[in-house]
Amino acid sequence: MGSAEEEVTRVIYKFYDALEDLLRARGTAAMEEIWHHTDYATTSHPFGSWARGWTEVKVNWEEGAAVFGVYKGHEHRSDRIGGINDLKVVVLGDAAYGTGIYRSRLYMSDCELNLNLNCTNIVHRIDGVWKIVHHHADQAQPDWQAAIGRMVEAGHS
Amino acid sequence: MPGGAHTSTNVGSEAGGFRILGGTDGNLRIAAWGYWPADVVASFLANAPLAAQALVPVGIFVFDCKELKPQGAEGQEAIRVLFRVLARSPFAKGLIVRGNAMTCMQLARLLRECSAEKRIEFAEAEAFGS
Repeated sequence: MGSAEEEVTRVIYKFYDALEDLLRARGTAAMEEIWHHTDYATTSHPFGSWARGWTEVKVNWEEGAAVFGVYKGHEHRSDRIGGINDLKVVVLGDAAYGTGIYRSRLYMSDCELNLNLNCTNIVHRIDGVWKIVHHHADQAQPDWQAAIGRMVEAGHS
Repeated sequence: MPGGAHTSTNVGSEAGGFRILGGTDGNLRIAAWGYWPADVVASFLANAPLAAQALVPVGIFVFDCKELKPQGAEGQEAIRVLFRVLARSPFAKGLIVRGNAMTCMQLARLLRECSAEKRIEFAEAEAFGS
C-alpha cells in the first residue's frame, strides 16, 4: 500500500476509467464501485444540474450511460474518449481532493466534439477505504451540449 | 390555458412531486419537480395517464419539467406509461418545458422509446413566462 496521496491519485484515475467504461457502453458497475454510497455524495456533469445523495448520483450516472448508449463514434477505435490531465492531489486527514482538466474527443457522424473542462473530485477515507464522494465538472459549452441533445433525440451519433 | 373550469391534483413535497391541472376545456398541464420517491411515483402512475385521457383534439398538453431531476427506473416507467397514452391520444399540441439538460435527455429518450417524439416537442421556460 502506497502513501495516502498515491492511493487518492489511483482512486481518481480509476474514476475516469469508470467514466470511460460508462461512455463506451461497458456498464456502470465500475462507476458504482468507486463511490461511497452516502447521503452526502454529490455530482455535477458537463450538462445538467446537481445530484445530491447517492440515489440521485447513481441515477445521473445511469442516465449518462443511457445518453451515450447511442454513441457509436468509438465503436472501432482504440483511443480513449477522455481522461484527466494535470491532476494535483491534496490530502487532509481522511479527506482529499484532486483538481485536473478533463479532455475528451467524440467522433460524431458530421464533426468532432472536444471538451476541456476543469474538474474537482473529493475522496473520503471510510474504514480505511478511499472512495469518491463528490465530483464536479464545469458545464460544457452550449454547442457541445446541443450536439449531445441532438444525438439523444435522433437516437444515433 | 384559457377557458373551462379546472381541477388540480398536488402530490409530494418540495423535494419531489407533481401537480396536475386539468380543465373541462380538454387541455392538460402537469408540473413536475425534484426526485420522486416511491409514493409520488405510484400517485403519478395512478393519476397522470388517466388525466391525459381527457385531452381533446384541440387540446394542449404541457409537461412543465423545468425543476424535474432525472428519475430512477420506477419514475421513468411511470413517465413511459404517460407517454404511451399520449402517443395514441388526440391533442393539438404537446410541449415539455425545458430545465435540467440531463432531465431533457432522459425525457427525449423516453419519448423515443414510446414513439411519442413526433407528438411532443421541447420548449424553453421563457416561452411560458417562467
